[in-house]
Amino acid sequence: MGLKEILEHHITDKIWAWAALGPLRLPFSKHLLMMGLAALILLVVFPLVIRSRSSVLAPFRAMIEIIVLFIRDEVLVPNLGHKAGAYLGYFATLFFFILFLNLLGLVPYGATATGNLAVTGGLAFTTFMLINFAGIKEQGPLKYFAHIVPKGVPGWLYPLLFPIELIGLVTKAFALAIRLFANMIAGHIVILAFISFIFIFGSLSAAVGFAVAPVSVGLVLFTLLLELFVAFLQAYVFTFLTAIFTGAAMHPH
Amino acid sequence: MEALIRPEFGLMFWTIACFALLVVVLSKTAWKPLLHAVEERERAIKHDRQTAESARAGAEKLKAELEAKMTELKAEIHRRMDEARQAAEKEKDLLISEARKSAAVIVEAATREITAQKAEASAELKNKVAELSILAAERILLKQIDHRANTDLAAKYLAELEKERPDLKLGAN
Repeated sequence: MGLKEILEHHITDKIWAWAALGPLRLPFSKHLLMMGLAALILLVVFPLVIRSRSSVLAPFRAMIEIIVLFIRDEVLVPNLGHKAGAYLGYFATLFFFILFLNLLGLVPYGATATGNLAVTGGLAFTTFMLINFAGIKEQGPLKYFAHIVPKGVPGWLYPLLFPIELIGLVTKAFALAIRLFANMIAGHIVILAFISFIFIFGSLSAAVGFAVAPVSVGLVLFTLLLELFVAFLQAYVFTFLTAIFTGAAMHPH
Repeated sequence: MEALIRPEFGLMFWTIACFALLVVVLSKTAWKPLLHAVEERERAIKHDRQTAESARAGAEKLKAELEAKMTELKAEIHRRMDEARQAAEKEKDLLISEARKSAAVIVEAATREITAQKAEASAELKNKVAELSILAAERILLKQIDHRANTDLAAKYLAELEKERPDLKLGAN
């Protein structure tokens, strides 16, 4: 079994069954299960924690509150201005959804749904829709497309810049999808590589394999902690960039 | 490896549907109550602060009023004391002058009385002295004047009288 099979086994999605919805073939897979788990946590645990008056849950309530208020005051208000309140639900959900998908990937027997290009692509697609929706809603469709090219550009550059900016709209979302996807699988690949070291060196001689094992496990532990950090960081980055793009679409100056 | 980067569109659909559902439901069940609680707390804090500030302003106003009243009262006390002092001074002067006046009256009356009594006493004394001297003289005269001396004296006086008033001379003509 080569590294390719190991990687595919551990990182790619495992599809158990298919369902047909018109032309779409909908898979029931491990990543879908993870999404369902994250959604269940968000739908059941969050409202309970937020509405509960219990002092045991107060720290968790405070944690959620701090994050939501941070998203509102530090991420949304500087970018969206007074419209921040209207979009807070979207951005808070986006942050916690990505965060829980990332964290579930670090749980034993879990899988990283955000390490699947379809999932990050889906999230990026919603961001793409949000950017255009917010821009059109704020400026009207005509002005929105007229303002796609930045101000101060000489007139003769418009025919060149307009298509570039149109592509740029898609690129932004595409970059978001690739960034999250790559960040989430990179750690896993590194961990798998470190663990493979044990068996690569073990194939030379069992003694060398045993000697390498502690080093490998230490490095894996370090990478896992790094992944824990990256889980939070990438959820924040995705949310933050979405806010910047949305703000730019709403106020094109 | 291409399985890693081949997006499964069915899963993409699931993702979008799941996320959209989460946004709709969580906006109502989680973020709204959370923000509601936060806003309520912020409002409560703001309200508390406003109450405290207005109470403080009220206290400061009251303090200023009391201080103004205090200075007013002090000035009033000062003024009253000055007035009282002046009145007392006046009263004192009045009393003293009245006392002087009455003293002068008394002294005058006393002087007059003394003078009168002195005069009376001296008059009485004079009378008594005169009476006493007369009585004494009487006694002396009664003792000294006997018949012979009296006759001599009478002869002498008569001779004198005859010399002075020859018209009254008895028997010589």
